[in-house]
Amino acid sequence: MIMAEGQTGFLRMRWKQDGLFPLAARLILGAVFIYASIDKIAHPEAFAKVVYNYQILPDILVNLTAIIPPWLELILGFFLIIGLFREGSVGIVTALLVVFLGAMIFNLVRGLDIHCGCFSTRQEAASNISMCLYVFRDGLFLLLGLCLLSSIFLGKQ
Amino acid sequence: MKTDRIARKTWRAIWQSGVIIILSAVVGLLTNQGRSNTLPLVAEWSPESKLTADSMESLVISLEEAKTLCSDKGAVFLDARSPEDYAQGHIRCAQNIPWQSFDEYLDRVFNMIPDDAWIVTYCDGETCSLSEDLAKELVSMGYEKVKVLLNGWTRWFEAGFPIEVVKNASCEKHRIS
Repeated sequence: MIMAEGQTGFLRMRWKQDGLFPLAARLILGAVFIYASIDKIAHPEAFAKVVYNYQILPDILVNLTAIIPPWLELILGFFLIIGLFREGSVGIVTALLVVFLGAMIFNLVRGLDIHCGCFSTRQEAASNISMCLYVFRDGLFLLLGLCLLSSIFLGKQ
Repeated sequence: MKTDRIARKTWRAIWQSGVIIILSAVVGLLTNQGRSNTLPLVAEWSPESKLTADSMESLVISLEEAKTLCSDKGAVFLDARSPEDYAQGHIRCAQNIPWQSFDEYLDRVFNMIPDDAWIVTYCDGETCSLSEDLAKELVSMGYEKVKVLLNGWTRWFEAGFPIEVVKNASCEKHRIS
């Protein structure tokens, strides 16, 4: 009970400090990034295969991309939620969302209907969802990231 | 004043980004090193290198070699795609062994394919791994002469080689040269 009141107090303080929308956007994007990282960290081999299937990176970068960026997603997710390194976290998150969206649109345009690998490394988990849906979903996340970026950089704090 | 504030925040974002990226790289690399099945930092990802048997012999077969084997009935061709995809069109000499339900086809495989037969597996698409998975399973079952025709259906179809489609529920096969 005391802890719940403490948490409520912390959220109320952040709400007053950041504003409701930036706080909500940070919490949503933070949760999304943490969720997206877990399966990739647990199954790096499978994620490396997903990265390879995108056919964008040279072979030499496939495994490194499967090893480091999932941890980047996890750390960014935590930092977004607790509000640490806000400018840097939001900047990288927005840049990553641009890269993810760009990669998907690139493959959509060239007709490669590949497994997205955004949240799960299992092929069958997303086989019925089209790339268009992935693009739309990532577009919404990017919109959220851009709004957050502008509120942080153009805000008075 | 406002410009100063944005410049200050941009500078802060730059050094913070550096710290976050370095931290991620260190944690990611250390965790990978600590795993029982460490992922090599650099690996060969070409289909040919992935499809190399323990004997270091490539499992990949060329389109022309496959065409010859099909014409001469020198190999058993296995289509690893779903029955629906197989029905819509397949290599004329191919049997359907869907990798997704391979266990149900085990008896058929053992009955149909002699131990010393040449086997060619294929599926469709540059990133399709069904034929690769099927080929590796067949090798592990003891078949020694297994080959994979990469991106098989598309390449075969585009080359104008003989194909077959299954017409409606009666499973009547329709040949197209």
